Amino acid sequence: MRLFWLPTSDETDMSQLLQAAWGGVLAGSVYGLMAIGLTLIWGAVRLLNLAHGALYVAGAYAAWIVIDLGMPLAVGIPAAVIAAGALGYGMHATIIRPMLGRPGWDSATIIATVGVAIALQAAILLVFGPRVKQIPAVIPGSTVISSVRISYQGLVIVLVAVVSLAALFFYLRSSRQGMAIRAISQHMDAAALMGVPVQRTYALVMVISAGLAGLAGVLLSSVLFLSPTSGFTPMIIALLVTIFGGLGSVKGTIVAAYLIGILESSVQVYLGGAWALPALFIFIIFMLIVRPSGLFGVPEARRL
Amino acid sequence: MILEVVGLEAGYGPATVLHGVDLSVSEGEGVVVLGPNGHGKSTLLRTISGILTPRAGSLQFAGEEISAWRPDQIASAGLVHIPQGDALFGEMTVHDNLLMGSFVKAAWLERHERIERVYELLPQLKNRHNLVASNLSGGERRMLAIGRGLMTNAKLLMIDEPSLGLAPLLIEQVYEQIQSIKESGMAILLADENADHISGLADRVLLLESGLFVREGPADALLADEALLAAYLG
Amino acid sequence: MTTSDSISPRAADLIDRAAAPWRSPKWGAISSLGVFALILPAVLLRFGAGTFMVHLLISFFLWSVVAQSWNLVLAVSGIYSFAQIALFAVGGWVTGVLSMSFGWNPWLSLALAPIVTTVAALIIGLPSLRLRGVYMVLLTLAFHELLRNYVTTGPRVISGGGYGLIGVPRLDPGPLSGFSHLVPSYYLALIFFTVATFAIWWVFQSPIGVAFAALRDSEGYAVGRGVDQFRIKLFLFGFSAFFTGLAGGLMTHYLGSISQSIFAFSVLINVLAMIVIGGWGSFGGPIVGTALLLGLQEGLRDLSDFRTLVLGLALTSVAVLAPSGLWPIVRDGFRDFLDESADVEAESEGGRALLADIGDGSGNDSSPQSATPD
Repeated sequence: MRLFWLPTSDETDMSQLLQAAWGGVLAGSVYGLMAIGLTLIWGAVRLLNLAHGALYVAGAYAAWIVIDLGMPLAVGIPAAVIAAGALGYGMHATIIRPMLGRPGWDSATIIATVGVAIALQAAILLVFGPRVKQIPAVIPGSTVISSVRISYQGLVIVLVAVVSLAALFFYLRSSRQGMAIRAISQHMDAAALMGVPVQRTYALVMVISAGLAGLAGVLLSSVLFLSPTSGFTPMIIALLVTIFGGLGSVKGTIVAAYLIGILESSVQVYLGGAWALPALFIFIIFMLIVRPSGLFGVPEARRL
Repeated sequence: MILEVVGLEAGYGPATVLHGVDLSVSEGEGVVVLGPNGHGKSTLLRTISGILTPRAGSLQFAGEEISAWRPDQIASAGLVHIPQGDALFGEMTVHDNLLMGSFVKAAWLERHERIERVYELLPQLKNRHNLVASNLSGGERRMLAIGRGLMTNAKLLMIDEPSLGLAPLLIEQVYEQIQSIKESGMAILLADENADHISGLADRVLLLESGLFVREGPADALLADEALLAAYLG
Repeated sequence: MTTSDSISPRAADLIDRAAAPWRSPKWGAISSLGVFALILPAVLLRFGAGTFMVHLLISFFLWSVVAQSWNLVLAVSGIYSFAQIALFAVGGWVTGVLSMSFGWNPWLSLALAPIVTTVAALIIGLPSLRLRGVYMVLLTLAFHELLRNYVTTGPRVISGGGYGLIGVPRLDPGPLSGFSHLVPSYYLALIFFTVATFAIWWVFQSPIGVAFAALRDSEGYAVGRGVDQFRIKLFLFGFSAFFTGLAGGLMTHYLGSISQSIFAFSVLINVLAMIVIGGWGSFGGPIVGTALLLGLQEGLRDLSDFRTLVLGLALTSVAVLAPSGLWPIVRDGFRDFLDESADVEAESEGGRALLADIGDGSGNDSSPQSATPD
């Protein structure tokens, strides 16, 4: 007697599973880059940056300009990071710095960042027009591993993302500035009393966060298409990841990014693409009811 | 004179808490500000360290006017404030909390030697070095806050009510540590609610009432006057 | 940061008056406005451009209720809901589908629209309103996206094959059937606007409104005071969804159609801009903002992309530089116009100064400027 009913494992099942796993790792890597930026800025400054998707798009367009000028993507990627980072610095100078410490911070910053998102998108639309663009792959071509097509570009994306995430993780864990970012997230006054320059650190966090959004933008736009509004869905998923991982927790966010990537990709493979987003939302709503403080359960006052 | 405060006024919103305070600390000196709760001790320290902006008066530290400086600039200059309630980085380990004390460049370069010295002075921290700060006991947290203060390149350490919320046995220990820090040559400005434990580290004592210093004098003379202390501190 | 936790009753009274001058309505001014509004179409429709003006007024009545009820949710009770347009669409689709595809009497289906919308809001609100504000942003944006997806790809009765609902029957105008459909639509929208605005005003000056106005920036304080925020928030969320859904239903019958384009981000932003530019959290702000934004929209119709750019920049600038929006300016102008006693003016000035002081001294709960105890 069989205790568990198992489907006979044939070729398609295996390849579906691999397909789902590979898609999940790929998506999870990019979501991780997006979400870690949101988490950092939320953890440090308590800013819900609804312009994160616009920064993603801005970075991708910066890379597109560079590539359009005939330079390789290897130049385009740093260009995206720098452009988005510069915009992030601008947001610090015009929004965070003047508004810090005012009452109504939560709502005012949500409005202000929505405004930035709209303005950036509209500006990009005015300059580049509504037509969809695509970023070329670093290495074109693909390989087939047990009937799953794995593009070299996908491998590059995963590699860049994993290296960036690991670098960020160690930067936050043991560098002087990185520790200061964590410290300021946990206790701003105490950090200042240890000599940490508060505003400059916030600017640094904003630049890192925006730069990561730009990086995610250029990477994902080489797989998906790029349009002035194509940052919206990645931002929503990054928000899901951030909340799922427990707002403000770096480790939780990285784990959550891959879990959500794999969940999304499995739903796509087994149920079809149209179900991916609804399934994610239902999953997250269920999780919020069961475990309101997220995967790594960071209660209110704790951060990063 | 390492710290020179003249005519300092400060407060919150519509309320003025300090009404013109004069205070000075010389190098290596231990100065204790005594006063009941709510009379401005914490406000005084918070204003000196830059968390609060003074409304009037001058603050001079090591010969420089610091009243318009940001807290991090003041801390970098060597005027270090250990606030009430420890203000630790709750999610960081004991070790990382200590390292953050050495955030200022000059101190960061010597962080390994400094941390060894702190572990020597406060051995209970060494045993706990991998524990997250929010999991420490009250006494350990206080020790960590003091240890973190020692990790800085402080020329003057300001400590706010080190005994608050601690069990009597721990209070003894904390004051002993502060005393030995003082004996190593560090200038100390300590705010306290009662005079029970300060005799070993105080050179001078000031009594603060309603935002004004009402008495000032050498520690031995003032601390001997029990009637006076009883009248002020209750 | 310390909080000034107690203020004298007199100061509280001053603050109340400064913060909420609308709590004593000027019946004279209101009734003359009412008479003016009643005879307005009779005057306007005599001119060539009058038809368009009446259309614009109808849009104003409906959209201003959407903005007002969102303001109640977003700015007054601090529920960061971005589901406002989605709720508007629920109302529109409910009555549209029922009257068009199922042949219901439009009046009956219209009556169902706000009810279904309220139920939808309660379903969103129940799991999410206990959570922190940012979760609400996500869940409501998600709801917006899911609904957009559904009405685009869902069953043909709902999606209209991707074109939305076209040819939704008009409401039977009854005794006014002799006029062009603009006239009955105008009066219906006017009645709706009046009732909804009055209901929202009622909430503003009720203890709920005042409590929220005082507490919206300090959740911790509110919890400390034992306010059961969840139930009040749920009530306000449902309350505002009711009017939003009704507005959606009325709009659908008035225009005879509703399509997926309602879900465009720019629509959501437009309504948000009405609130923010008009005056976040104030009673009159959204009304002023709706008038301004609708006017701009018509005036700058050809410059749509630039308009979005300007709108975005305006949102950010207002949030950073003038958080209370245009409303204080309009209100003070109005007060001078009505020439009120200088006494009240002086007192409310005092109240404002006090408010400013308190705002200065108290740390905002979630602002990073205040230290978190660990």
